[in-house]
Amino acid sequence: MWHSLWSQTLDLTLIVVLLRYMTPILLAALGGLISDIAGVINIGLEGLMLVSAFASIAVGSATGSWELGVAAGVASSVLISYGMGFFSIKMKVDIIIAGFAVNIFGSGFTIFLMSKIYHMTGNYSPSHPVNIPTINLPFLADVPVVGKLLSGHSLMVWLALFAVFFCVLMIYRTPYGVHLRAVGEAPAAAKSLGIPVTRIRYSALIWSGAFAGLAGSYLSMGMTSMFVKDMTAGTGFLALAVVLLGNRNPVGILLGSMLFGLASAVATIVQTTQGSAVPSQFVQMIPYLVTICALVFFEVRKRRRSAGAVTA
Amino acid sequence: MRSFKQVYQEALGILVAVVIALLCGFVVILATSSQPMDALSSLLLDPVSNLFNIGTIVNKAVPLIFTGLALAVVFQSGVFSMGAEGQLYIGGFAGALAGVYLHGLPSWLHLIVIFVCAMAGGALFAAIAGLLKTYANANEIVTTLMLNFVAILTTSYLVNNVFKDPTSGGAARMKYLSPDLLLGRPFAGFPAHAGIFIALAVAAIVYLLLYKTKLGYELRLVGKNGKFARYGGISTKRVILSSIMISGALAGLAGIVEILGIHGTFKDNFSAGLGFDGIIIALLARNHPIGIVVASLFYAYIQVGAQTMQVGSDMPREVAVIIQVMLVLLVSSQAIFHYMKQKFRAKGGERHVA
Repeated sequence: MWHSLWSQTLDLTLIVVLLRYMTPILLAALGGLISDIAGVINIGLEGLMLVSAFASIAVGSATGSWELGVAAGVASSVLISYGMGFFSIKMKVDIIIAGFAVNIFGSGFTIFLMSKIYHMTGNYSPSHPVNIPTINLPFLADVPVVGKLLSGHSLMVWLALFAVFFCVLMIYRTPYGVHLRAVGEAPAAAKSLGIPVTRIRYSALIWSGAFAGLAGSYLSMGMTSMFVKDMTAGTGFLALAVVLLGNRNPVGILLGSMLFGLASAVATIVQTTQGSAVPSQFVQMIPYLVTICALVFFEVRKRRRSAGAVTA
Repeated sequence: MRSFKQVYQEALGILVAVVIALLCGFVVILATSSQPMDALSSLLLDPVSNLFNIGTIVNKAVPLIFTGLALAVVFQSGVFSMGAEGQLYIGGFAGALAGVYLHGLPSWLHLIVIFVCAMAGGALFAAIAGLLKTYANANEIVTTLMLNFVAILTTSYLVNNVFKDPTSGGAARMKYLSPDLLLGRPFAGFPAHAGIFIALAVAAIVYLLLYKTKLGYELRLVGKNGKFARYGGISTKRVILSSIMISGALAGLAGIVEILGIHGTFKDNFSAGLGFDGIIIALLARNHPIGIVVASLFYAYIQVGAQTMQVGSDMPREVAVIIQVMLVLLVSSQAIFHYMKQKFRAKGGERHVA
């Protein structure tokens, strides 16, 4: 096992697999980040991704266009997150419960549609699948190391990396970002300054839905070419964990997603090699344990800082 | 203690929410089924049409009563734990280990040991999240969600690699427990197992604990107003930790009763979300132990109905999910309940004037 892991590290396969696993986590986590910054904890990422994954592949394979597929995925996810906003903001349902409901809905409703439309219960693979295209860089592809590192990735991988940059700009460099942070940190103060708190919260959830939608369409049209029931398998919760692990910072989230992507990639390699010494379950567990440790670390640091401020 | 009128209002509101949620499900069935009447009748009538199905409803309600109680206890203390699923696995696993690997005890004593192990397993695993919350101020929603994965993966590893029955194939499980330890079926021709009696007894105990003991009072006080409770001299840390551990013990019971009553041994991934269903039950029942028994039976009825509908018509059983989601959202909508209370009060006021 160590041997195959080492050889896959050397020939950069590990990096390629890491990027594949990182992408949905990163996109969903950025979605989670934006709503988190506005003070709305979105635990419904898992359900949003499932809805989008199904809508993407259904529309994509029916129309033969991956663009329409992605658009449908994002649109459906945005619609559901708007509904989540309606129930949490207007009907005053606790946001955690609303997110929980979205998760049940995403899991059940996609299976319902799959069996109603395609008469399948476990998974659906279209006869003519369309995929999000991969980007092959013309000259770099032939360069030994750089080629494998940079060329041949799905468009969505690049989009996810670009999204980090986009989020940094949006959150820290635009008036809208200031409003988001103000609403999250002190809603009453924000309101007294004339910031439309309700509208900002809705918009944060919609961003959240858009990013989770991209993540979902990558699951069914990039990583695989099929829809499997409950195919997110905890990715949404990993994303939620990354938001906290990255200390609510886009760059931190990028690093956290890479770490979790690495853990997933190693877990896959361990699972597929015969007679491995380390059980895959323990590798899969690493992200969750790391997150708990990070949570404790941030809390302790925060407490120490505030204690310092009091004595100073 | 809340007045009778308040309880009545609340119950009426929940009933209205249930009816609306069911109507949403009906609308979906009417819109998508080619034989909607068959689907509706198999959803609503088939579950109660014969003793076998009624027994299945009871069996499905048993673990829900336990997980519902588990979550009601933590929710009442103001802790939003989502960890019942993981605690259920650890508790069930610990209980099953005691059942399979201890020998030579008389079976009544052996059963007691099994139950104690299951409750201790669940409680100790829950204590991790409790300690993280009370001493490191770590958000319990996140830690419990993460710990669920830790529990499921750990037990999955152990049952696949260490305690696996060599005769079990791809779906790993432990050796079967000896038949005299399993929960029997007390009524001939009725498939409900004896777990329902344990569940009802535990619901009564939790009721007494919450409403008739000092700890229960402290627990509810901490949930209502933590600062006030601390000001009044209650050690909130101790109370929160106890409530999380009691909740874990109840979740562990859910696991072991499900194992002794249905599965016969610990199986990899045997729960399939019972801990999360418990959240819905606790919300529906407004965290009240008696309400939880009623809500569990209703929820189990819908689940069995969804299955009979899948058999008896062209509708998949996932339609029930729409009903569940609407239930969760409507029942926990403070806006609706606030509005209803105001209406109620306004009406009462008019009558008073007149």
